[in-house]
Amino acid sequence: MNEHISSAYDRDLEGITTLIMQMGGLVEEAILKAAKSLADRDVELADEVRAGDKVIDALEIQINEEAARTIALRAPVSKDLRSVLTVLRLAASLERIGDYAKNIAKRTSVVVEMNPVSGSDAALRRMAREVERMLKDTLDAYVRGDAELAEDVRQRDQEVDQMYNALFREFLTFMMEDPRNITACMHLHFMAKNIERMGDLTTNMAEQVIYLVTGEMPDEARPKSDKTAFVTDPG
Amino acid sequence: MKDMIPVDRKMSTMQDSKISARGVQVYYGDNHAIKDVDVDIADKTVTAFIGPSGCGKSTFLRCINRMNDTIDVARVVGDIRIDGEDIYDPKVDPVQLRAKVGMVFQKPNPFPKSIYDNVAYGPKIHGLARNKAELDEIVEKSLRKAALWTEAKDRLNSPGTGLSGGQQQRLCIARAIATAPEVLLMDEPCSALDPIATAQVEELIDELRQSFSVVIVTHSMQQAARVSQKTAFFHLGNLVEYDDTDKIFTNPQDPRTESYISGRIG
Repeated sequence: MNEHISSAYDRDLEGITTLIMQMGGLVEEAILKAAKSLADRDVELADEVRAGDKVIDALEIQINEEAARTIALRAPVSKDLRSVLTVLRLAASLERIGDYAKNIAKRTSVVVEMNPVSGSDAALRRMAREVERMLKDTLDAYVRGDAELAEDVRQRDQEVDQMYNALFREFLTFMMEDPRNITACMHLHFMAKNIERMGDLTTNMAEQVIYLVTGEMPDEARPKSDKTAFVTDPG
Repeated sequence: MKDMIPVDRKMSTMQDSKISARGVQVYYGDNHAIKDVDVDIADKTVTAFIGPSGCGKSTFLRCINRMNDTIDVARVVGDIRIDGEDIYDPKVDPVQLRAKVGMVFQKPNPFPKSIYDNVAYGPKIHGLARNKAELDEIVEKSLRKAALWTEAKDRLNSPGTGLSGGQQQRLCIARAIATAPEVLLMDEPCSALDPIATAQVEELIDELRQSFSVVIVTHSMQQAARVSQKTAFFHLGNLVEYDDTDKIFTNPQDPRTESYISGRIG
């Protein structure tokens, strides 16, 4: 894409992209730290994630303000318009992902007081890593204008869904085995659900990147693998 | 017209297109100003022509009511039809054609006559009114349509040139629509107007769309986006892209269109 005749316009748009990348970097870090704090039973690290969410929230506000200013002053059209609409949606998704990471960190400070549920910490961490990689690729796709990479991310969400399905069943089993596991399993299940939602939001972001690059939202249904909504009592 | 290009009959009589152009070329002496333009312009629609200076958009607009006939070195080749009728047919009287295809120019250019006479001039020379009462009615109706009636009704005998710029432009619109045209061509009708007068003329254009096919040339992309349903982008004499206005401004297909509308170096 060529430069604008008004170079200040280019600087404005680049400025907003930089803010998104900064926000994305912080959110990636929050996901990894939240998962690590659980695996290492590190309450301090969990507290750090909770505190860090304020910075992420502030960045979202700043991005919204910059986007509104650009719309008001530059009246962007075509790809410029799509890029402003895209940053608004990316920022909103990143903010939600940040909230989920914060919620995981909150639950970590409770879960560390309980007996560990075998294998679940490592599984959650694997799931979080996968989502973090999806997010990293989405941000790369955004900066490079790479619709193929974004499409790849979109397809990968089903792996996260499958990990969540597996964990869901595991937690059910643990709870049936010993009711004393219920509190911990409920918390852990919410953590897993949080990560699964992060994957969904990341997928939305990837779709937004496809819209930015091609001008059209992908309409073809993507593979979905979260089947837990249909789980019944095994009796 | 000498070099007539055969045209697909089915295309030129398409029901929903008011104006149909095929293989239009315009030369100013050696300068090839319009290069092989095909376009169908719909009835009761505002169509905007955009593009950088010298791209040919005004030239093409002026082909639609044969204004280029008035320029000696200008030569128009190709086929332009309104309602399926070839407007360059030797049997067509350009003066009659211009009554059917009205035009409003960049700078308001009222005749040095009263407001009433400015509007009454066209109907008079075309014999559209049988008596004074009918003429009065046409003048009032045209001024009302041009949203100038309330401001002008008590000063119909004052000179048209005494009105403000925006009022003068609306007077010119009233004059153009007084002959009951079917097509209204507007060549940058708001470029000499302030934002309030511009908004009034734009509102008027939207109302005129109920009755006419309106074609507007504008340098203001925002104006094209605001008033038109279809947009044509011209560049170096070529019609580069022609599509629904919202498509042109959200997702144009040609990189030249994209560069132009988003203010990029292209």
